[in-house]
Amino acid sequence: MSTRHPSVLVVDDEIDICNNLSDILTAFGYDVETATNGFAALDLVQRRPFDVALLDLKMPGMDGLTLYRKLKKLRAGTVAMLVTAYAGGDTTREAIDAGAWQVLPKPVDVGRLLGEVERVVGQPTLLVVDDDADLCENLWQILRQKDFRVCLAHSHDEATRKLQENPYRIILLDLKLPGGNGVGLMETIRESNPEAKIVVITGHRSELEETIDRVLSEGAEGVCYKPFDVNRLLEMIQHAAEQNRT
Amino acid sequence: MVQFTSPQNRALNSFDAGERPSSAGLRPVLHRVTPMDYERIYERYQELQRYVGWTDEDAARVASVAGLAEPFFLPLVEDFYEEIERHPAARQVIKSPEQLARLKATLVNWLRELFSGRYDREYVTRRWRVGWRHVEIGLDQVFTNVALSRLRRGLMRILAENWNRDIPFLLEVRQSLNSLIDLDLAIIEDAYQTEHLERQARSARLATIGQVAGGIAHELRNPLNTLKTSAYFLRHVKSASPEKVGEHLERIERQVAIADRVITTLTEFARQPLPTLSPAPLVECVQEALGVNPAPGNIRVHVDCPADLPRVMVDRAQLSIVLANLIRNAYDAMPEGGELKITGSAADAAVELIVADTGIGIPPENILRIMDPLFSTKTRGIGLGLAITRAILDKHGATVRVRSEPGQGTTFTVSFVRAPQ
Repeated sequence: MSTRHPSVLVVDDEIDICNNLSDILTAFGYDVETATNGFAALDLVQRRPFDVALLDLKMPGMDGLTLYRKLKKLRAGTVAMLVTAYAGGDTTREAIDAGAWQVLPKPVDVGRLLGEVERVVGQPTLLVVDDDADLCENLWQILRQKDFRVCLAHSHDEATRKLQENPYRIILLDLKLPGGNGVGLMETIRESNPEAKIVVITGHRSELEETIDRVLSEGAEGVCYKPFDVNRLLEMIQHAAEQNRT
Repeated sequence: MVQFTSPQNRALNSFDAGERPSSAGLRPVLHRVTPMDYERIYERYQELQRYVGWTDEDAARVASVAGLAEPFFLPLVEDFYEEIERHPAARQVIKSPEQLARLKATLVNWLRELFSGRYDREYVTRRWRVGWRHVEIGLDQVFTNVALSRLRRGLMRILAENWNRDIPFLLEVRQSLNSLIDLDLAIIEDAYQTEHLERQARSARLATIGQVAGGIAHELRNPLNTLKTSAYFLRHVKSASPEKVGEHLERIERQVAIADRVITTLTEFARQPLPTLSPAPLVECVQEALGVNPAPGNIRVHVDCPADLPRVMVDRAQLSIVLANLIRNAYDAMPEGGELKITGSAADAAVELIVADTGIGIPPENILRIMDPLFSTKTRGIGLGLAITRAILDKHGATVRVRSEPGQGTTFTVSFVRAPQ
């Protein structure tokens, strides 16, 4: 695991609030960047990943929820907390449905906020490498429920890039990928994320038998065949996460 | 006979003035009607009596046939409820024979009072309460009209069938009875409308309070958010440099000013004092307002007023609120930059000030609402700026017009009263 500081992105159209949250989070050891609108925030997110995003819900140009939806497409692993001055039931539910971690009322209880950020940062990171977008979204939702921070990569190249940006505890790897195969990624993973536990997911039991044997011999934790038994997959992931913790 | 559509369908209580203790749930509102109100209602009734030409002779004529009509009250009421009971919804409402008996007794009593010959304060008050009660149970006035029509026909038939005196007198009695029933209807309807309007106004007030609360919640929680986080920083971050501490103190002051402005806006709106008008140079006022509300860097401001522009009759303090609102709205409409052009020109008895921006414009569906209090499409603000502007200009005898083209910009034209030479 790298020793870098956990990162937080703060987005609020009120510059004073950006500065305040930045001051506080920085003082508590976080690496903080701020943006006063959604477009500037997306620019930042395109350049680098963040562990946590604190987003004001009501902003001119692009509201916090729209921003989060766009952000999630770019960086599924960023955990979002939305902040709102006027928490109506609908907005809160919509935000949670979209995958936001929390909706916090204004004025923000800073103690609680710091607690939540700390908790999120402590959640294990997991990278799903699979070209099936629907499967990725399903896994995202299931694993998010289990308190994993789930990042997604849909191609060989995207996976390679994301492996350089973040340390992951667990990697779910599809062996057949556009732009290269999963086996090739094994090496990249060993270099960039030597601690990561790999679970292979594949729908090609017979064709890839040899390959599967190879990846298992090279240290993959196990294989899950599509369509997989979700409980079995979760067990494997939990097991891998526990091994990794010790 | 009648299509009952009210939710509770308590149409059957039509002539029930709600005076029994069992209707305690309805009583508190009744208490709002003071003795003075009843005096006023009675005066209103007397006024209506005069209008239809009602005299004591009419009263005497109706009373003189009470004995003839009385034996038929119960059959008439039986027939009335039989008709109502045929309506499926009514069967759900009349839950017990006792209830039906009570409703019938109420109606018999109403008929008895009708023929009593005494149309005093108590009589009128009871009629008024019928109308009030119908609002309470959500019964449309139209049902009272048709119900009374059916009873009227019944009464006329009874008089005709059992008449044992001369026909001219029958015609006179019918005339008097008709006037009396019309007066009953008028006072019930008056009560209905008064109460109905009162309730509408009340729910509109509640809705407004809700809207204001929502607006204030948002506008105040933002500065509170900064105050709270700065307080947290100052208290918990021990290593903060003096510069950082200073920054946070400045932020606190700035946000307190923002919160204060929200409250000032609200009180300005609530108070709206009468303006003290005096001749003032418009250009100078515009320049002042621009000084207090400087344009963001990406907006060019162009003021074009002839040097000999006549002075206008204004309250300068209030005018500064108007100009600030128009100028700030123009800035807000041009987030990507643009031009604000303020032009003054003299007309016959007026001086026109045109405030034009090249901003996002106002969609046609919003243009009629922009001056409504609490209407806002912005993420910040309660939505009182233009409402205040219009209210102030109204009191100045000035007018404001707006023209807008989405994507092109918006132009406000204010026409001030020219100061005498």
